[in-house]
Amino acid sequence: MHAIRQRIRNVLRGNGDRNATRLQRRRALGTLIWSRLPELRLLLLLVGFAWILLIPSPLLGQSTFIDENALHPGQVNTYWNWGDVHQADLYLAQLEQLRDQNATSKQIAAHVSEEFRKLGIPSATQDYVYQTSQESYNGTNAYAVFSSPRGSGAEATLISAPWLSHTEDALNLRGVATVLALAAFLKGYSLWAKDFIFVISSGQLDGMQAFITTYYGEEPSNLIAEPLTLPSGVIWVALNIDYPGHSFSHLGIFFEGINGRLPNQDLHNSVQLISRHTGGVPVVLYDHLDPRDQPWREAELSIIPSWVPASLKKMSFVQEYAYRAKNLVRHVGYQARGKASGVHGLLHRFRIDAITLYAVPATGPHGFHAIGRIMESSLRTINNLLERLHASFFFYLLVNATTFLKIGFFLPAAIILSVAMMFSGLYEWINAAWYKTVVPRSEEKTETTELTWVERPRPVLDALLVIGATHTAGVGLFYFITLPAVVVNHRIISPVLFIISLLLPLAALPLFKQTSPGASPLWQVLKAFNLCLASTVVSVTCVLNFSLACTTAATLSIPLIFSSPSTSLPLKVVKYAFYMLLGFGWMVFATEEVRSAIWHWELMGIWFAPFICIVYTPLVLQAALVSILPL
Amino acid sequence: MLGGRYLKIGLILNLCTTLTLGHILNEDFHETLDLRPLPDGRLLSAFSFTTLLKEAIPRDPETLGSEDETQHYTLFPLALGQVLREYAVTELHMSLNAGKWDYDRWGYPEDPGVGTGAELWAYMGDSSAVSVDARWRGLRNALAGLFCASLGSLDDQRTTSPSLTFRPEGSFPQWTSASNHQLRHATLPSENVCTENLTPFLKLLPCKGLSGIASLLNPHRLFDSDWHGLSVHVRYLRDHGVEVRLNFQAVSDPVRYSVHGKRDWSLSSVFDRTIHSSCRVASSSMIRVARPTEKTAVVSPEPPSKSEDYAIFDLSDTATPLDISMQWQDESKFIYPLASSSSPLTPISVQRTLKGSIQSQGRLSVVITNHLPITIQTSYLETMPWLLQFYLHSLRTYHNGISRDDLVSIVSYTPPVPHLRPTLFQAVLTLPPKGTLHLSMDVMKPFLRYTEHPPDAERGWNLPPAVFVPLISNTTSSSKVASELNVADVDFRRLSRRIYTPVLLVDLATPDFSMPYNVIIMSCTLIALIFGSVFNLLTRKFVVVRVNQDSKPATRSPVPELKN
Repeated sequence: MHAIRQRIRNVLRGNGDRNATRLQRRRALGTLIWSRLPELRLLLLLVGFAWILLIPSPLLGQSTFIDENALHPGQVNTYWNWGDVHQADLYLAQLEQLRDQNATSKQIAAHVSEEFRKLGIPSATQDYVYQTSQESYNGTNAYAVFSSPRGSGAEATLISAPWLSHTEDALNLRGVATVLALAAFLKGYSLWAKDFIFVISSGQLDGMQAFITTYYGEEPSNLIAEPLTLPSGVIWVALNIDYPGHSFSHLGIFFEGINGRLPNQDLHNSVQLISRHTGGVPVVLYDHLDPRDQPWREAELSIIPSWVPASLKKMSFVQEYAYRAKNLVRHVGYQARGKASGVHGLLHRFRIDAITLYAVPATGPHGFHAIGRIMESSLRTINNLLERLHASFFFYLLVNATTFLKIGFFLPAAIILSVAMMFSGLYEWINAAWYKTVVPRSEEKTETTELTWVERPRPVLDALLVIGATHTAGVGLFYFITLPAVVVNHRIISPVLFIISLLLPLAALPLFKQTSPGASPLWQVLKAFNLCLASTVVSVTCVLNFSLACTTAATLSIPLIFSSPSTSLPLKVVKYAFYMLLGFGWMVFATEEVRSAIWHWELMGIWFAPFICIVYTPLVLQAALVSILPL
Repeated sequence: MLGGRYLKIGLILNLCTTLTLGHILNEDFHETLDLRPLPDGRLLSAFSFTTLLKEAIPRDPETLGSEDETQHYTLFPLALGQVLREYAVTELHMSLNAGKWDYDRWGYPEDPGVGTGAELWAYMGDSSAVSVDARWRGLRNALAGLFCASLGSLDDQRTTSPSLTFRPEGSFPQWTSASNHQLRHATLPSENVCTENLTPFLKLLPCKGLSGIASLLNPHRLFDSDWHGLSVHVRYLRDHGVEVRLNFQAVSDPVRYSVHGKRDWSLSSVFDRTIHSSCRVASSSMIRVARPTEKTAVVSPEPPSKSEDYAIFDLSDTATPLDISMQWQDESKFIYPLASSSSPLTPISVQRTLKGSIQSQGRLSVVITNHLPITIQTSYLETMPWLLQFYLHSLRTYHNGISRDDLVSIVSYTPPVPHLRPTLFQAVLTLPPKGTLHLSMDVMKPFLRYTEHPPDAERGWNLPPAVFVPLISNTTSSSKVASELNVADVDFRRLSRRIYTPVLLVDLATPDFSMPYNVIIMSCTLIALIFGSVFNLLTRKFVVVRVNQDSKPATRSPVPELKN
């Protein structure tokens, strides 16, 4: 036994000086990594993409739980009853009348505001006008502030319902009626510790944006809004009700905020628990009903393609995977674009944890009775808070209503891709300076030659200039496409702009022709910088907005790593066209998306449009340049 | 035999009563309860218990070093009297309130001190024996013990002397040594008021909570009201003596208690108690019910005396048990007045908010609306702890949207000393008729020391209310204004009373103390890393190691060479 151990030790340590062995081992490992770098890079890419595909897998994820002990969700008796449902029905009838009269935003706000005042709750309206390059938005919000008995008015909870439902082209009449009836109901109790602010915002997002920015005194310059006449305190938590249908079967929870911010997970978990146990309403994410619960609607709900064999389709693993993937794709769609998935998303910026409760339209069985009880119990839970929600997670991926992934389980996916890019970049960087060449031995025996590493200068400044120029061009592009005139005539200008962007790098090509003799080619240094920059962008972004980082990494890693110049002209053209389509294709092929991104930037300051123009497109442009630069 | 014994006891009792009465001549106790239905269906009940110690004079602070005269009181609260004598306090005002007084809907309160939380202010004579500040410290600690409130936290970080806003309500005694009186004022907005404060309050009353008006003070109902507060006022009235007034105010909501949403109320519905007996030692014991303008409101039982505005019940000649009630006979359900139709009840309305969403700076915004068609001047006081520091140069004033910096004149400004002293900011604002004045000022939110964070849930810091006192200019007499305006709702006698704004909550940069494990793990890792590397460097012996230069990639271990 001892002999075996001694032999293993000998193999590992050698039998000489241990320090020298260690140094040698370290050097050998470096050499191994270096010589195997192309393979390692491939392996990292493979692992990264595999990890992304693994995220929806049922193997990962854990059950959600309540972390803040003060919350006690669902631990109270609820008193919301059929009398309050009747009250809500009465409000609904009035609102339907307004809808049938085609009432303006001002009339609606005046009506709602008066209803609040009839309840003895001070209320007011707020007119606002937004000037965006596409059109101007105006509307009137109605809001009311119920001062809690004995409360100092320093803290408040916001309850809102926008006039327009967020997900469908419908009016949120029942949501507004719920808020009004809730106001009447809440006033009958003295146990509230925080004020309630009720907001019936006009429009979809614009109304709430006007309200909340005025509330915090941070109005954007393109907004003219009436000042608020009823002050209240610091808002910690907000619940938004979106109830467009006649009845509902499930409660959907929307939680993504602008620029990828998420509310504390405790809020989602509490509402989820309360809804299931107090309201008796099953909870889903978004409006995604589980196809396994509704087999008769499977074709409509499931995302498993039809060509998948039936035996595979029936496997519970596949079904769970498909359901989780559907939720994740929706989440990434909101978060990567920085979009709010509802009115609640506008509040996260102000440190307000907010979610939208969406009543998924159905023929039954739930209605005002269930949503009222859920709201009452949720508000009791929120009322328990002594401090802001802070205990639970802020970084999470919800894969379904009761399962989530901690940051450690999804972050490596983007990080590994980013590492692959960084390794490739460093590989290029070394290769640019060192090359192996055949050097004739200067002394005797001239016939024997030897491969040696030779160092050459790298055109760092040129490469940096190119990178600077591309990003500056990105800023110019962003400035240009947000010009009001351009936005309005987007359809005509985009193709022209696309062609100009296509030709401009070609026109600039002659500038790069002369690199000093003996120096490494420009493309190599440019590629090195491009990859390192992309990798840095991804790894920095992934702790701010994982979806954006992951999407960027997944889109850029392969094209950027494998960008290379070529000698044959047709190959050059094909490569260039590919990169230009990848980098600028959105101008022509996603005009609606461009419009929406610019609108979101102007209205809410969402960073997606500038990110694409100033970060993403220049990175791809640099790869395009790599492919056409001389070898 | 038995009869004789009763006779003896009766005689002794009689004797006692006469003796007691002898003292009562020097002490006077009055109790009143004002009940005022408010326009929004609520009911204000203001209890007031006044004890006058006749011909008494506050203690001269110069005598603090020597033995004090003995204190014999029958009605005057001894516990409070001892505190007053011990610290030679001439005038004292303390209030503990919960809730936000809504001036726009409820008008002026009966007792002006309605700022949320605890407020304490006192006038004390200068003394060479014990300094005012030392006595102030003793006073707030003594009161903290007396009322079970955290008044001890009203330390130097919260103490100011805002003499413009807080004028003495009584007179100052003429001691032999000519001494000045100094004001000390402090507020603690986060103080909660509850039963533990009411119990010691009741103990100061001669009849406790057992009989008379005080028997209505039922904590279960009082602390369920929309607003409640208790206060203690001590003042010296020249030629009268020292007066102690104990007040309790509550705003309850009969509509909330009513099943049908009516605003009818009665003592039993509001306090869940009726008056069974009067307090015998009270010289007067009155319940005054303000009669609303509606003629349909009926007070029952029929009040023994009425004035124009009040129905007055004198407990000494009213049959008990007494359960006063008021009914609006034609109302099946209370209809809330729509705000547009009701005229304002105070001359000015004030809103104060803290704008901004970041933790390093913000903007203090004050909006003052003058409801009267005359120019009003009002004093404006901020006693801000150093948790919020003003950038005074950024003070901007807009009147109806037009920049009008001339409308503010700063009377005094004491900048804060971080960790030590609060800001004192006093200004006089000129409010043009029927207009709105917007004041805004940038503020800085400082960074706290680690130990300055309270060992408590981290909800932010409460900031004290600002105080406004409207000053009707001397050129227009109030009666003239009243006749000109024809506004009966504005009570001009009370025009220049203090108006408190609601408190604010400020978020300062705070480490997440409730995540100790993260912090421990993080800091331990850092320390381990730093220690590891330093230890390594310190204990390691540096030698030159010759590594075989042309070794092949290390699949096998080459023989090392070592050269020193």
